[in-house]
Amino acid sequence: MSQTIVAANVGKPPKRPFWTERRRTASTAYLYISPFFILFLIFGVYPIFFTFYLSFFKWNAISPMKYVGFQNFALIFEDPTFWVSLMNTILMGIMGTVPQLIVALLLAVALNSAIVRFKNFFRIVYFLPNITSIVAVTLVFSVIFSNQGMANMLLDWLGVTTDVAWNSGWWGVKIAIAVMIFWRWTGYNAIIYLAGLQSISPELYEAAKIDGANSRDALFKITIPLLKPFILFTILTSTIGSLQLFTEPFVFLGTSGTGATRPEGITMVIYLYREAFTNSYFGTAAATAVVLFLFTIIFSLINLMITNRLGSSGSSLGGAK
Amino acid sequence: MATFRKSLFLLLSVALVFALAACSGKKGGTEANDNSPQSTQGAAQTDAPKEKIELTFWTLGNNGYETLVDKWNADHPDIQVKVQNTGDQTAHHNNMLTAISAGSGAPDIFMLEIGFMEKFLAATDNFYNLNDLGAQDLKGNYLDWKWQQASSKDGSFQLGLPTDIGPTVLYYRQDLVQAAGLPADPAGLAAALDTWDKFAAAAKQYHEKTGKYFVDTTDLLHNALRDQSDGEIYLSKADGSFIGDTNPQVKKAFDYTVKAIQEGWVNPSPMWSPEWGQATNNGDFAVMPAPAWMSGVIKGNAPDTAGKWRITQLPEGAGNWGGSFLTIPKQSKHPKEAFAFISWMVSKENQMESFKTNQLFPSIPAIYDEQEFKDFVDPSGFYGDQKIAQEFAAAAQKVKPMYYGPQHDAIDAIFKNALRNVLEKKAEPAKEWDEAVKQAKEIVKRGG
Amino acid sequence: MNTVAVGEKPGFLQKTILYLILWLGAIMSAFPFYWMFVVGTNDRSAVFHIPPKLVWGNLLLTNMEKVIERILFFRSMYNSFILASLETVFVLFFCALAGFAFAKYEFPLKRSLFILVLGTLFVPQQLSLLPNYIIMAKLHWIDDFKAIIVPGMVNAFGIFWMRQYIEAAVSNDLIEAGRIDGCSHFRIFWRIILPIITPALSTLGIFTFMYVWNDFMWPLVVLKSQEHFTLQMTLRQLLYNRDGVDYGMVMAATFTATLPLLLVFLLFNRWFISGLTSGAVKA
Repeated sequence: MSQTIVAANVGKPPKRPFWTERRRTASTAYLYISPFFILFLIFGVYPIFFTFYLSFFKWNAISPMKYVGFQNFALIFEDPTFWVSLMNTILMGIMGTVPQLIVALLLAVALNSAIVRFKNFFRIVYFLPNITSIVAVTLVFSVIFSNQGMANMLLDWLGVTTDVAWNSGWWGVKIAIAVMIFWRWTGYNAIIYLAGLQSISPELYEAAKIDGANSRDALFKITIPLLKPFILFTILTSTIGSLQLFTEPFVFLGTSGTGATRPEGITMVIYLYREAFTNSYFGTAAATAVVLFLFTIIFSLINLMITNRLGSSGSSLGGAK
Repeated sequence: MATFRKSLFLLLSVALVFALAACSGKKGGTEANDNSPQSTQGAAQTDAPKEKIELTFWTLGNNGYETLVDKWNADHPDIQVKVQNTGDQTAHHNNMLTAISAGSGAPDIFMLEIGFMEKFLAATDNFYNLNDLGAQDLKGNYLDWKWQQASSKDGSFQLGLPTDIGPTVLYYRQDLVQAAGLPADPAGLAAALDTWDKFAAAAKQYHEKTGKYFVDTTDLLHNALRDQSDGEIYLSKADGSFIGDTNPQVKKAFDYTVKAIQEGWVNPSPMWSPEWGQATNNGDFAVMPAPAWMSGVIKGNAPDTAGKWRITQLPEGAGNWGGSFLTIPKQSKHPKEAFAFISWMVSKENQMESFKTNQLFPSIPAIYDEQEFKDFVDPSGFYGDQKIAQEFAAAAQKVKPMYYGPQHDAIDAIFKNALRNVLEKKAEPAKEWDEAVKQAKEIVKRGG
Repeated sequence: MNTVAVGEKPGFLQKTILYLILWLGAIMSAFPFYWMFVVGTNDRSAVFHIPPKLVWGNLLLTNMEKVIERILFFRSMYNSFILASLETVFVLFFCALAGFAFAKYEFPLKRSLFILVLGTLFVPQQLSLLPNYIIMAKLHWIDDFKAIIVPGMVNAFGIFWMRQYIEAAVSNDLIEAGRIDGCSHFRIFWRIILPIITPALSTLGIFTFMYVWNDFMWPLVVLKSQEHFTLQMTLRQLLYNRDGVDYGMVMAATFTATLPLLLVFLLFNRWFISGLTSGAVKA
């Protein structure tokens, strides 16, 4: 399966290797990456293969497995709820992620500028949402987004509208969950961008100024291109994160787990979870995981292509083949 | 700069040492059962001291079983029981499923909630048949319908011994009902509401008179009617097929709840939501059709209403929601000792004790005749001086055996969602019903 | 949006806009957290107040007493602390090593291996639960901290992050210089690379610590005894009461559980700012 990614990967010309004692270098490198691959073989590869294998069987975790071919895939593709969950996942992902990354970049650039004081204070405050446990966050927001809660009162006060059905409206549920994602991850991504900004040497800006560049030029010609590895990082992790969205809708729409399957908020992982742990259909759950896996790869590749068009320096995945 | 690397290096060495130590020795935590006073009395035993056996016991939720287990451990130095509690019931049962599929890691005793019973009844070879260990002799002590919930279809296999049950009754606010001109004493109210039609008429009247809701949620109202089905609800006991679209009681429960929504006498907030808890405390509704264990929830949600609540019977019979069983997984090496322990756990004395401490309602009818039980008045005065145990017992004896089937929860959630749509989005009930039936069939299809 | 580059004379308008953005972001971030504190210091009905209560009360200790009565709060906090600290140290070391290899070495199959690393991120955790549990049961690690620490000692996310950072921040010239001085591979890593990547290490360190601290799905599956529970597991016990959820109590516990993370963050914060070698010239 990795071959397909390699083939589709839009590579960049290789960086000049700084080492030529090939073999020694290679063996050192293998030594350095070996801990991951050893653990990965045990705790990563096995579950993946198990999942692929399982997707062709009917199994309830306690009776013997029964081979059913592609029937599990047929079952989920015929199930309208599956498609609803796919659409929800994509919609909530986009609603939660796109504004989040833009705002995060904005905050990071603002925070990195020389004239701002209390930098540390802001950094800590931005990071607060992410260190709060996800269950607690969801509980707080559940209260804010309850039908007589703060969100509706605020809207009422602004004179926009009153009584949005946050826990059953088609858009209400999605907006509430997107807000939670946005709130939780904006500061985190801002911190990542900030680490990236700090890796850019100030001399570059000095040089640009001498060449007569204004601050907008500096942003688009220096900052964004050099941040590319970090932007790529955040886009990829956010994509993966939002495709695996689970806890927020799960807790928000009912701790008992029954409300979590409401069609407005069901995500692919909740669908998977319900198949496996509510209904004990581990075969269809595995098939869902396989589909989710493929979707994640496709989306990530689309992201990579789009990001590769942005800016032109820095390197993307890989280098020489 | 150098300091950072130094500290990282130091931490790394410490971590490695720690990890190695953790890999070699015993687990963390102290073996804390050698300090019971009995352990010094080894001399009193004859000849060679018996091998000490340790049993692990996975319990679910807040049940106060730890206190009972301490008592057992004090009396049985050679059979020590270790309680491992999980709060989340889905996680609790999934842990058991994974332990079964892994072939190891299961406890000696597992507490099984009735909602998950069907999954495990389909795989009885992973558990000891308690009939082989002497359960047959105990059968007569327990409510028949309760006992049957954990039996195979022909009754030859007994998966678990009964703990508590959750018979459904009608909790009501005496003061509110009285103010609206309905009978306020339990017997009088039960008589005035002995059919669902009378109940609806009273509810409508209450709503028009006071402007408030009569029932607390659509969920509990729907449950109350649903659980009065005749032996099966959504799934057929014979072949596991979906029968929700042909079972008249399922349709009745759905239509009745729709009627309640349209006539405006049911409180709109979902069960377990913070608003629902708040509405309980505010007196926004007058009655709650709910199981025995809901008593604790009401007390927690509505501290300001203590003394104003009473309990009576539901119209047209009672249902049961919840309750557990103690089972012995096949992975246990000490089934005999485990059985001795569980039969002690669910004995008359201990069920009485659990009722007094945690209001777990007993499944032994003989207890219902005990004077101590009959005269039980909630010590907090929450139900005034009403002898509530009698009401629960009356309901418990009306419950009929019920088959749920493995996909019961998932299907029920679909119907509950449909009702929520009627309530919150003013959806067309007939369309929602058709949609729910379609979705339920989709779920059952996979089991085929 | 006009942003400010280093060394430019800021206009008053620019400054105002800048601060406005920063303060808006701060209020947005802090409010739910602050409100958690408000709810946690009031009694259980505060949540339902109309209009909402926005001032803290004085019941934090009362609520915490209730918490300690119900769950082994401090014991589980200690467990979480030990687990998170150990895990963080391992992750930093192994991920930095692997990230360094992927960023600066050439070796056969490098790209395929890296893509494989990324591929592991795409597997939904919810389904790995079952096979991983089976492994742990076979190893007899159920109810043992090893089941938490070992699988997470090095992770794809960390390798990816480290590789991205080392690629951006470490110039080949520096490594070249180290080679000319006759340093061994590991010495280069230890003496030259680590100092430069300190900000990335502290970021990853905080993320890892947090992740372990807040994770509940996996611990819930493998840990069984009360005395081994992590903080999140015990907090969740508060939610499964049959006497109605007492939000005041839950939020007090959550708030108290979040404070240590805040402390860790403050401690590590120093490393964020330091560690920028001025000599990191792009080749």
